[in-house]
This record gives sequence, C-alpha cells and structure tokens, in this order.
Amino acid sequence: MTETQGVNAMECKLVPSICSYCGTGCGVLFEVIDGKLQGTMPMKSHPVNEGKLCIKGWHLHEHINSFMRLKSPLIKNNGRFEKATWDEAIQTTAQRLSSVVERHGPDSVGVLVSAKITNEENYLAQKFARACIGTNNVDHCARL
Amino acid sequence: MIQQIKSWLEDATVDIFIGYRDVDGHAVPHGYTADRLEELGNWTVGTHRYPLETFALHLARIHPEATIGLLGRDCNQRALNVLSVWNQLHADRIRVLSLSCCPSALKTRADCSYLVPRKSGSFKHQVGVDAEMEAAELEALPSGERWARWAYEFQKCIKCYGCRDICPVCFCAECSLESDELVGTGKLPPEVPIFHLVRATHMAGRCVDCGLCEEACPADIPLRLLYRKVNAIVEDLFGYQTGSDTAQPPLSVLGDRVELEPLPMEKTG
Repeated sequence: MTETQGVNAMECKLVPSICSYCGTGCGVLFEVIDGKLQGTMPMKSHPVNEGKLCIKGWHLHEHINSFMRLKSPLIKNNGRFEKATWDEAIQTTAQRLSSVVERHGPDSVGVLVSAKITNEENYLAQKFARACIGTNNVDHCARL
Repeated sequence: MIQQIKSWLEDATVDIFIGYRDVDGHAVPHGYTADRLEELGNWTVGTHRYPLETFALHLARIHPEATIGLLGRDCNQRALNVLSVWNQLHADRIRVLSLSCCPSALKTRADCSYLVPRKSGSFKHQVGVDAEMEAAELEALPSGERWARWAYEFQKCIKCYGCRDICPVCFCAECSLESDELVGTGKLPPEVPIFHLVRATHMAGRCVDCGLCEEACPADIPLRLLYRKVNAIVEDLFGYQTGSDTAQPPLSVLGDRVELEPLPMEKTG
C-alpha cells in the first residue's frame, strides 16, 4: 500500500455501545481507527452514566485486543486444555450434561446467569434450565 | 460550516475532519473523509464535549503524514497548543474550524457543556469543596478546615482514572499514577492526598482548564479548581500562561542529576 492510499483509507469513528461489565448499562463510545479498537470513552449524553465510567468501563477495549483473549473454546482432555471448534465444544457439553442428568437426576444441575448478558439471553437460560434440563436451580450472579 | 468542511475535504486541505455526527439524537465524535462526503448529512454540534484532539493524536500516531482537521472549541484549541508545545502533534498538520462555545449576550447561541450550572447539595456545601468556588474564596478559610474539606473530596475517589483517561493533555506512555512506588496500588480510596496531588503536580503548566476531568468524575471531586490553582502558581512564579504560551512550560526541564542527600519527610523524636 502506498502512502497516499494509506491516507485515503483513513478512518476514525466512535461507535456507541453499552458497557458489558455489569447490569447498570452505562453508555460507552468505542474509538475505532482504521477498523481497530483504540480506546473507550464514556457517552456524555447517555441517561444512565451521564459521561462517567468506572475503571472497568474505561478499559473495555483492552480485553478485546488482549493477546491473552480466548478466541476458540478449549476442551480438557487427559488433564490438558486443547483447542476445539464450537461444534465440538457444544457437542461435548451437551453429551456430558445429558449423562449427568441421566445418572444423577435433573436437580444435580444448576444454571447461573449473569448481569453481563441481555434480558433475552437470561430468559433463554432459565427456559433451558426448566424446560430442557428440568430443574428450578436457576440463579443470577447479582444474588451471589 | 458544513460547506467549509466539504471544501476542505474536496481540495485535500485536510485528509480527515473530526467533528460530530448525529446518532439517534446523540452527538458522537466522527472523522469525516472525502470518500464518504455523504456522511456530512448527519453533521451535528451539541453541548456535549469530547476531547477531539485525543482522537487526532491517536490518528496522527498511526498516520503521521496526514493532515487532520477538527472542530475546535476554545478548550480544544488550548489543548492543541499544549500538544504541539510538547511535540505530540505538528501544528502545521492540524487545521481547526472554530466553534462558537462561550456564551455572550451578543451571540444567538453557544455550544458548551459548562453552560449548564453545576449544583452541589447542602452536605457538600458544609463539608466539601464546591466546584463553583474560587481558589481565593477557599484560601480565606482556616488551613485546618481547608484540609478537612479537600480530604473529604479526595476520599470519595473510586480510582477510575477517568480524570486521566479523558484528559486531552495526558499523553504519556507511562503514568506516575500507576507507579507502585509513587502511589500505592490496589487500595481504595487511593492514598489521600498523594494520588490527587501527584496528578495535580503533573497538570502544572499543562492543564488547559477544559473541565473534562471534573465532568467525567463519578465522585464529583472539584478537580478543575485544584488544577486552576496549580496553574496559577506556575503563572505567578514563572509568568507562564498554559495553553497560549508557545514555549515548553518551566517544569518540563529535568536538569542534571540531583546530588542532594534524601531527607526524611518528617522529623522524628
């Protein structure tokens, strides 16, 4: 890429989003330069946080770009974690969960949900616990 | 204003122009470019202020050859001066389009978040430091009471580092506020008053009095007042006007290695 093309391809924008760390739902702006996340700003006009953030919110961009971030699921085989595809991971989890339910009954399983996920996902999680597994053992991280 | 930006982009006076776009009624900072001129249809200006020069600085680090235009309130322009004085941005690679921000009876409108007056509760009036106070007003109080008032403000700190992170003139790669030797890490509230005083010292000759730190503070600490005082000291002692002076501030000279014997902070016994 030549220098001029580099300048032409320049992009700088702030993308509104919601902080994913807790259930408060602070408005954030992600600073995107040339398609890469560079920073986080509090959203000044957001009714929830009115331009303020906690230390976790201010550093949202760091875990996305972190080299330590897990980008694929891991399955533990013979005491060691090994990289797997999502299909393999979901298959393994489903098989192991059904075998636990079969052997020890549905109440041997509990489902913990999180403030970090959406209402709809929380709804799906309790539906999964009650309808698929057959237990009322559902709780939320905010009650721990 | 839109016409001016359009012509700047079309004749390549600037490669990118950082202003604001309207996203569902929110003014969100945005970089406009010549290949996406149609985006100017969403151009907006609101009272909410963001450190546009910080985005320009990040852009310039990736594209040092680019000329960057940006919408400049008075505070943005002072910050750009400081960044240029500290060799972070080349003044000739920056074009500023001034925005009417300070209110006056002679103007029809002005865009600044400081147009809405800050209100403090009665408890803060009794025991804390009101952000609307002037330094002289505070200095009239006895020193014991002044200390108690500032200590009340500082112990509210949740150490979010928001004041540093939103600061347009905080560009250092390494920050003293994260140094375990200067400021104890992993404690809340941070050491009173050293955490805030370390930052205040670094703001001397650098703070452009934009007030973004105070706006971003979830604990409502009157930071702007504190840094105003620090800058007033620099002006009194060295005649240095932060934000408009074209030379580096007097405190940037580190000098030769200090050969003095370190002394204990307090006399014992």
